[in-house]
Amino acid sequence: MHVQTQSRKLQLNSSMARWSQLPPDLLLLIAQRLNTHFDLLCLRSVCSSWHACVPSRLRPSRFQILPPDGTSCSLYLSKRSILCLRLPESHCKPTNCSWLIKVEEDAPGMAHLVNPLSTSQFKQLPPNFPKTIDFSRFRVSELGQEYVLQYMDRRPSGEADEWSLRKEKVTCSRTSNGEDFAMLTIHKSGKLAMFRPGDTRLTIIHDMPSRCDDLIYFNGEFYAVDNTGRTVTVSTGSPPVLSLIADSVFGGDKKSLVESNGELLMVDTYFCPGIRGLMKIAARFKVFKLDQTGHTWVEVESLGDQILFLGEKSTFSAVASEFSGCEGNCIYYTHTFFFRNGDRYHANTTIGIFNLENGSMGPLSSFPDYSKVIWPPPAWAYTDNIGSI
Amino acid sequence: MSSSRIITLTSSDKVDFYVNEAVAFQSQTIKDVIGDGCEDKGTLLPNVTSEILSKVIEYCNMHVEAGKLEERSGVDEELKAWDAEFVKVDLDTLFDLIQAANYLNIKGLLDLTCLTVADLIRGKTPDEIRKTFNIEYQFTPEEEEELRRENQWASE
Repeated sequence: MHVQTQSRKLQLNSSMARWSQLPPDLLLLIAQRLNTHFDLLCLRSVCSSWHACVPSRLRPSRFQILPPDGTSCSLYLSKRSILCLRLPESHCKPTNCSWLIKVEEDAPGMAHLVNPLSTSQFKQLPPNFPKTIDFSRFRVSELGQEYVLQYMDRRPSGEADEWSLRKEKVTCSRTSNGEDFAMLTIHKSGKLAMFRPGDTRLTIIHDMPSRCDDLIYFNGEFYAVDNTGRTVTVSTGSPPVLSLIADSVFGGDKKSLVESNGELLMVDTYFCPGIRGLMKIAARFKVFKLDQTGHTWVEVESLGDQILFLGEKSTFSAVASEFSGCEGNCIYYTHTFFFRNGDRYHANTTIGIFNLENGSMGPLSSFPDYSKVIWPPPAWAYTDNIGSI
Repeated sequence: MSSSRIITLTSSDKVDFYVNEAVAFQSQTIKDVIGDGCEDKGTLLPNVTSEILSKVIEYCNMHVEAGKLEERSGVDEELKAWDAEFVKVDLDTLFDLIQAANYLNIKGLLDLTCLTVADLIRGKTPDEIRKTFNIEYQFTPEEEEELRRENQWASE
């Protein structure tokens, strides 16, 4: 009996030893197929030998980006990740198991929690919200990334703010080492502007006939769509070259590009007619997927179990089954109201949900199951010590 | 140039496998060792057991056959489906397959097995990964401290 136990112990030990003793070069090959910072962090947290093999990601350093027109105010790139946090399966209760957050990664070890769909920080965390979030407790999936251009120094006043780059969408190419990247954004003129490694200034690309509505980095390439739905890829060469991917669809008022289930989709937003000025209220949405061979956007009837999120500065998608209480085939969208207070305009962003199946829509507050995913933070996110490292 | 030469591969437990040259040469290592047109005296693979070698040969066979059918549409999807079934093995076997693919330098198999492991890891907590791969929690106090700093982000 004793001998049996001994040999079983040896068996277990040798099986235990195997994966933790995976040769470093093989572990790195596996790590290369994990694309997010959080997955790599997780890998490092498994055991001592993996911790030694997997490098911790270098923080992106701030570097200057100068606007194209010779003004001196300089900008830097700020990155945020949109994450879905879930409890490990053993702890999951039937409802309210996911939490969608957006974290800024600029300051090491600081998670500024930002509303996933806008750029504003949450006004107030619940009083007993913990001082730290321990990411090793949760299953973390990265749903998307968001980039924002910020002023390096003091924000210039008056005319110097004409540049107003900060209001436009930015997207970046992602390389595995996180070092080299190219950035694409929309200039206030509606044209594309690109920044490549080694550049000091943004380069404006003049070839878009209509105003650019949205950008995305998908499958290793930059895509841009204009107001008519005409979509191009943008190379990062010198000069950048635009190649037609899909012809115009016209139709609605604003086009957005979003990745869903490995495919590139375009969402066409129709605003309420007759409402003028700075208020843009969405009335309905149409979704298209790309027919590469035909160079056209083909309308999609149903998103199946996918949920699309159209945020102010980023788009992303998720599978409904990861969001308990939510069903797929819907779109979370933001609408921004501008209102006047004295001589300044302010923006107020609210979130709505559009159901593709029946066309119904409404503010997030009317759909408690759907709004719980974002706010308030679920109790399990800050109950102590549910499965520490 | 005849490509139907039969190569002999011998596993660590001294079992001989007779494979087509095209199949054997899916392994860059074997290709480098045997070379073109040299007389084959049999190649010993001390790092690969017969159980694993037979699976590796099965993979190479399938991929050589599929390579001949390039003209037919739908081959890619079928091959992907076959690959997906092929890696539905227990973790011990998967571990051995990765090692073998690396040692024998079979790019496709290495990619497939690494991706399979990455899929098993993705989205899990460190604790869940340990349970899946049967890894013991073992950190020095310094490492624990470093982990705490990396994993715990201050929320404002």
